Amino acid sequence: MLLCALLSIIFLFLMLLFIAREGMQALLTFGMDFVTGHVWDTNLNLYGALPLIYGSLMVVAGALMVAVPLGVATAIFVEEVLPFSLRDLIKSLIELLASIPSVIYGFIGVLFLAPRVASIFGLSSGTVALTASLVLAVMTVPTIVSISGETIAAVPKEYKEAALALGATKWQTVKDVVIPTAKSGILASVMLGFGRAIGETVAVLMVAGNVAMIPTPPWNFLSPVYTLTAVIAMQMGEAAIGTLEYSALFGLGLILFIITLIVNSLADILVKRGVKRLGG
Amino acid sequence: MAGKISEKVFFAILGVPTIICLAVFLWITSILLSGIGTLRLDLLTTSVLKGGFFEMIVGTAYLLLGATGVAGPIGVFAAIYLTEYARHGRLTRIIDQAINNLAGMPSIIIGLFGYTFFCRQLGLGISLAAGWLTLALMMLPIVIRGTEEAIKMVPNTFKEAALALGASKWETTKSITLPSAAPGIITSVLLGIARVAGETAAILFTACVLVTRGLPKSPFEPVMALAFNLFVKIVALGEPPEKVFGIALILFLLVISFAAVGIALRIYYRRKQPWLR
Amino acid sequence: MAKVDIRKLNVWFKENHVLKDVTLTIKENAVTAIMGPSGCGKSTLLRAINRMNETIDGCRTTGEIYIDGQNIYDGSIDVYELRRRVGMVFQKPNPLPKSIFENVAFGLKIHKMADGQKLAEFVEKSLKEAALWEEVKDRLNESAFSLSGGQQQRLCIARALAVNPEIILLDEPCSALDPIATQKIETLIRELAEKYTVIIVTHNVQQAARVSDYVAFLYLGKLIEYGPTKRVFENPENELTERYLTGEFG
Ligand SMILES: Nc1ncnc2c1ncn2[C@@H]1O[C@H](COP(=O)(O)OP(=O)(O)OP(=O)(O)O)[C@@H](O)[C@H]1O
Ligand SMILES: [Mg+2]
Repeated sequence: MLLCALLSIIFLFLMLLFIAREGMQALLTFGMDFVTGHVWDTNLNLYGALPLIYGSLMVVAGALMVAVPLGVATAIFVEEVLPFSLRDLIKSLIELLASIPSVIYGFIGVLFLAPRVASIFGLSSGTVALTASLVLAVMTVPTIVSISGETIAAVPKEYKEAALALGATKWQTVKDVVIPTAKSGILASVMLGFGRAIGETVAVLMVAGNVAMIPTPPWNFLSPVYTLTAVIAMQMGEAAIGTLEYSALFGLGLILFIITLIVNSLADILVKRGVKRLGG
Repeated sequence: MAGKISEKVFFAILGVPTIICLAVFLWITSILLSGIGTLRLDLLTTSVLKGGFFEMIVGTAYLLLGATGVAGPIGVFAAIYLTEYARHGRLTRIIDQAINNLAGMPSIIIGLFGYTFFCRQLGLGISLAAGWLTLALMMLPIVIRGTEEAIKMVPNTFKEAALALGASKWETTKSITLPSAAPGIITSVLLGIARVAGETAAILFTACVLVTRGLPKSPFEPVMALAFNLFVKIVALGEPPEKVFGIALILFLLVISFAAVGIALRIYYRRKQPWLR
Repeated sequence: MAKVDIRKLNVWFKENHVLKDVTLTIKENAVTAIMGPSGCGKSTLLRAINRMNETIDGCRTTGEIYIDGQNIYDGSIDVYELRRRVGMVFQKPNPLPKSIFENVAFGLKIHKMADGQKLAEFVEKSLKEAALWEEVKDRLNESAFSLSGGQQQRLCIARALAVNPEIILLDEPCSALDPIATQKIETLIRELAEKYTVIIVTHNVQQAARVSDYVAFLYLGKLIEYGPTKRVFENPENELTERYLTGEFG
C-alpha cells in the first residue's frame, strides 16, 4: 500500500529523469540558445525555443484574459447568488464542459470558430492565436469556476453574517468580505487554469496555425503561432530516434515540465494558505 | 431602496458570465448533435475497412478497461494508505504534492514519458499495454482523490464499532470502510474514465495507429481509438467535416455519459450524507 | 417607553413552525433577557428584529414588529438601514479576517458615515465604549484573530456600536467565554443600557438575573411569561417558568 502511495512520487521523478535524459543532447548542443534562440527550423537543424515559448505564453495570456473574469464571476454568481437548489445543476453542467475531450474542442474550433474569426477580421485563415485563446478560455473556465467556487463556498457563514448584520448589502458582503477572504483560493484557481492551458495540446494545435515565429507586432493576436505542446505533438511522429530533432522535442518537454511544476506548486501553497487563513 | 435595486441589477450582470458558460456548452452539444444524421447504428458494428467504427470503439474500450484495471486498484490502495494508515507528516505532504503535480501534468508530457519509458525502456513498443500504463498514470490522481474523499465520508462510528468488536485494522477497512465508500470509489473511477476516454495527446505516440487489420490479438499490438482517429483525420489527412462527424459524436456521447453519471452519483451520495456537509 | 413592539410574530423554517404568535413589548433603555430551553426559538426571535432570518433559505415570517411605531416588515423599509439601527452580536465572536481597526471601521465605511480623521475618531470612541480601547490602542493594525476570545467579543460589540445603532441584540454573547471575560461583558451590558435598548438571549439564569431589567420566557416557540426580572424571578406566574428557573429542565 505504501508502494502504491509512493508511485506518484516515483513516476513524477522518473518523468523528470527520462525526459531530461532524452533532451540532454539538444541542451548540450545549444546551451542557453535552446531557450533564447529565435529560430526553430528542422531543415536547418536549428532549435531555438523562444518563438514556441512565446507562442504558448501569448495564447495562454489571451485565454486567461477571457477566462479569469468569466470564471470568477461565474463562481461568485453560482455560490452567492443562485438559490441552493440550482447550484448543483449549474456546477455539474460547467463540470461537463470540462470533461469534453480536447480533440472535440479542436474539432469545433477548426470547423466552426476559425471560419468565423476569419470572416469577422477578414483573414485568409482563421487558425490564429485569437482562435486558440478563445478555445483555451472555454477549456480553462471550468477549472477556475470549480477551484474558486470551492474557496468561496468555504468562507465561513459567520463572516458573512457579521457584515450583513451591520447593514451591508449582499454585494458589499461579497466585495468586502467574501472575495478578500477567498483571495488566495481564487489566485490558486488562476494558477491551475494557467497550468491547464499551457499544457493543452491537441485543441491548440488544431486552431493556432502553427507557425514558429513571434508575431509582428508581438501582441498581434491575428497571426498564427506555434506552441510548445503543438510542436511536440506534430514532430514526434517524424523525428528519428537519436537525432538532434528528437532530443530537442524532449527539451521542450522539459521546459513544459518545469513550468507546470512551478505553477502547480505555487497553486498548492496558495490553496493551503487559503485554508489556514479561514481557520483563523 | 436605490441600493437594493442597483444590487439586483448588479447581480443580474454577474449572471451573464454564467449564462455564457452554459450557452457555450449548449452550442457545442447542439453542433455535435446536428451530426446525428450522418450516424447510422449499423456503422457501430461495421469494420473500419468498410467505413464503419467498430475497431475504434472496441479499441477505445480495450484502452479504458486496461487503464482502469491498472489505476483502479493502485489508486484505491494508495488512498487507503493515505487516509487510514499513514501518519500525517512530511512524507504524506510530499506524496500529496506529487499527486497534485501528477494531476496537473500536461497529457503531452505524460505521452512523451510513456513513449520513452513504457514503449522504449520497458520494450513494450507502440502497443495497447503501453497505452494502458500511460493512461493509468493520468487516471491515478483522480482515483486517489475521489477514493480519499469517499473514505473520509465514512463516519468514524462505523469503524469504531468494528474495532471495538476486536476486528483488526485491515479487517475493518475491508469489511466496513471499503463497502461504505464503494459508491464514492466507483464514482471516482467513472470520472477517471471520462478524463482519459477522449485523451489524444497521451496515446498519440504510445498506443495508436490509424488503421489496424482487425482487433489487436495481444496487449503488445497497437490499437485504434476514436480520439486518435478523429485527430489524425482532421489534422494529418484534412478530411471534410461530414466524414469525421460520426466519430466526434460517438466520442462526445461516450465521454459525456461517463462524466454525467459520475457527477450525478457524486451529488447523490453527498446529499445522502447530510451530516457531512 | 416602548421601543420594540412585536405583534403576533410567526416564523417558519420550511415546514417547521418555530415561533408561534409571539407578542411582546420591549422597553427603551433597558435590558430585556430572552430565556428558554435550547431550540425554543430564542435566536430566531432575536434575528426577526433585524430581519436576519430572511438571509436563510426557506424562512417565512408573518406578523409585525414596530420599532418607534414603524413596522419593519413593511415593504417601504430599507433593510440595510434597519440593520444599521439594530446592531447584533453573535454567540461565537465573529471578527472579520481584517485588522482590529478595520473591523470597527467596516460598518462606518459601508454606510459611508466617515472617512480619514473622522473615521479614526469614531473607531476610538466605539472601542472606548466597548471597554476595549486601553487593551488595543497600540495594536490597532494587528489581525483581530490575535485577540483573546473575550476581547474578540468586545471588538464585535464595538463594531456594532460604531454605526450608531439604537438597539443592540446579543445572542448568548458569553457562552464561548471564561468567567472573567463574562463578567467584563456583563458590566459592559449594564453600561450600554443607559444609551441603548439591549435585548440579550441567555441560557444562564443567574446571568439574566444579574443583567436584565425585564425577562421573557419562551417555550416551544410560544411566549410563556414576560415581566420585570425581579417579579418573574421571585414570583413566576407560570409553572413552566418556575421549573425552568429552578433548573428542573433547560
Ligand atoms: N437556519 C435554520 N434552518 C432551518 N431550521 C432552523 C434554522 N435555524 C434554526 N432552525 C430551527 O428553528 C428552531 C429554533 O431555533 P433557534 O436557533 O431559534 O433556537 P434557540 O432557542 O436559539 O436554541 P439554542 O439555545 O440552542 O441556541 C429549531 O428547531 C431549529 O431547528
Ligand atoms: Mg440560539
